[in-house]
Amino acid sequence: MPPALLTTSLVNTIQIGSLYALMALGITLTFSVMKLPNFAHAEYVTAGAYAALIVSLSGVLNPLVIMAAAFIVGALSALISQLAVFKRLEGKEVSLYTLILSSFAVGLIIRYILFLMADYFNLFDLRIGIPLTIVFRDGSLILSNLFAWVVPTSIVLVVLLTLLLNATPLGREMRALANNVNLARVIGIPVERVKNYTWLLVGGLAGVAGALWGLQTAVHPLMGWGAIISVFAAAILGGLSSFSGTILGAYVVAFSENTVMLFLNANFGVDLAYKPAIPFIIIIAVLLIRPQGFTNLIRRAGDLQR
Amino acid sequence: MLCLIVCLTVMLGAAASAQDDMETYVLGVALPFTGSFGTFGQDFERGIDLAVAQMNAELEAAGSSIRFETASADTEQTPEGAARALQSIVQTTGAQVVVGPLTTSEVLGAKQFADENGVVIVAMASSGAAASIPGDNIFRVIYPPDTFSSKAFATIALERGHQNMVVLYVDDPFGNGMNEHFTKNYQARGGGEVASFGYAPQSTELSAEAAAVSAALAGFGDGAGFFCVCFPGAAEAFVQVAQIDPILTSVQWLGNEAMTSDEMLEDPGHAQTLANADFVTVSQSADVTPLTPLFNADFVAMFDKEPGIFTNYAFDAANIAMLTMLAAGNDGAAVKSMLPFISNHYIGTAVQAFLDENGDQNVARYGIRQVREDGSGFDVIGTYDGNSDSITYK
Repeated sequence: MPPALLTTSLVNTIQIGSLYALMALGITLTFSVMKLPNFAHAEYVTAGAYAALIVSLSGVLNPLVIMAAAFIVGALSALISQLAVFKRLEGKEVSLYTLILSSFAVGLIIRYILFLMADYFNLFDLRIGIPLTIVFRDGSLILSNLFAWVVPTSIVLVVLLTLLLNATPLGREMRALANNVNLARVIGIPVERVKNYTWLLVGGLAGVAGALWGLQTAVHPLMGWGAIISVFAAAILGGLSSFSGTILGAYVVAFSENTVMLFLNANFGVDLAYKPAIPFIIIIAVLLIRPQGFTNLIRRAGDLQR
Repeated sequence: MLCLIVCLTVMLGAAASAQDDMETYVLGVALPFTGSFGTFGQDFERGIDLAVAQMNAELEAAGSSIRFETASADTEQTPEGAARALQSIVQTTGAQVVVGPLTTSEVLGAKQFADENGVVIVAMASSGAAASIPGDNIFRVIYPPDTFSSKAFATIALERGHQNMVVLYVDDPFGNGMNEHFTKNYQARGGGEVASFGYAPQSTELSAEAAAVSAALAGFGDGAGFFCVCFPGAAEAFVQVAQIDPILTSVQWLGNEAMTSDEMLEDPGHAQTLANADFVTVSQSADVTPLTPLFNADFVAMFDKEPGIFTNYAFDAANIAMLTMLAAGNDGAAVKSMLPFISNHYIGTAVQAFLDENGDQNVARYGIRQVREDGSGFDVIGTYDGNSDSITYK
């Protein structure tokens, strides 16, 4: 594998891994606190990307404003999902399978609302209008302004999340829900309010991830769904209960899709078209060999259930 | 009073009898209404609806008892979805002729059911060489197969002095066929090595692919060229990551027409990347016939919006299907037998249809378009006549 290709693939790993981490953290949070593997998460990502796109099309190119818009739309999408569907189903004490199916349904509804909007306003395959520029170059090491935005944003948001979880009353309440919702209710934690805040946080993170993903690729109603398997692979690698594990999982998935895939292509002729199979292989391998993922390997600060 | 009742009875009976005499032919429409090609599918359906509305109006004016109606199903842009769509249309309506699907992989997905059940498929935009099969029930009446355009791309690559080529192609029947035929033609005409990289059709993020293409171009050194065979969406995603790659931005590019979308040039970075790459594409000639402006005006009048790219192909395909059904009846076998004759005598909004032994469009006139230096649009720099395998530059 040529050194230049290795360097580029590692840069891609960090950049895409950071994006996967932002998306996967919400899945881990939803699963830990709400006990729901939420497949509608992909659509919160897409909704955030469209919010970012629309803001950029209106002429506003400030990345912070764009990400704020994406956060708000993603958060509202998630909260509406909770209030309109998931909360009502929880009240009926339906099974986990019903909740998973309903998350697919919610996702489909949001997706096709976005399709209708995109069709009406012709918003397919557009890019969020922040120009891509090179901010650092040394030989084959090239870093873009997207890298400069994605990686620090991911790090800052992860640090803020960890602080929220460990140093605020809301974080403690979230962890209480993650451990035992009934006990949390008995000791007086306002469960529904905490859940609503959690959904806002989950959707907001997904929305920001969507805005950044929309800078990496083209905005389309299926863009979130296109990434969701890789994101779930990252969350499953992280054991679905640990922030630090999820982040590590995201980078492992991105490393596999980029550096490992290019290594296999360069040395063994494995076609790059097999790249989408990698997250499936990771998911199956984790479930067969180590269902708890990275949990217990990396513990403490980022763990929700402790 | 009795007279009045008798008169009313006779009149109602006559009306009912006239109604009974009416015959309705169902024209199936199998297109991707969802997925990344959903916009194409929806717009194509509008083109077909326009053709059906116009045909019914003419039939009514002529006093004919035949009317057409459509039955649509979503192919979901997958081969399996196309097979399900065809099955659903045929089993619920008895349709013998289906217009669509869109891509070659969908057409091939629907092929087995069509062949086994005597249903005729009239596809408007599929061009993958893999679907060029003699004797089957698939007719691709407007867009010629890629065996022609691959020769044009190979010739242009050689004329530009590319000693070696790197190809990025969508890993489906369309992309595989284009890659295979391009490589064969390029090397047969004196070209050197071709390094090819496939990407999965569902991929939306292509940074690994861009890195691989860049490394292959670097390995070839000076004189190498790049050929991108991508679907919309992936094309934008590829250019997005390629625009900061020093190798990819220093070589000349060729690419299919998905690279020439309006969305591509709306992004200044993408437009500049294509301009720096002297990007050239080959696509079916946008020649107009006297019917083209009429189609555009009628479409706007009916739907209050401009027709999308290739929507007139769907309009033409529907007309060929309906004219054949009027001549041969609502019977798949008869339509299969008659359709080449009708096609070969049809001039629509795009080009003369004339089918080869595979039931594919055999009139292959392409426009060669190059992006302007400022990336503001594309200029036609020449034409390629697939039938004589010759390029004429302006």
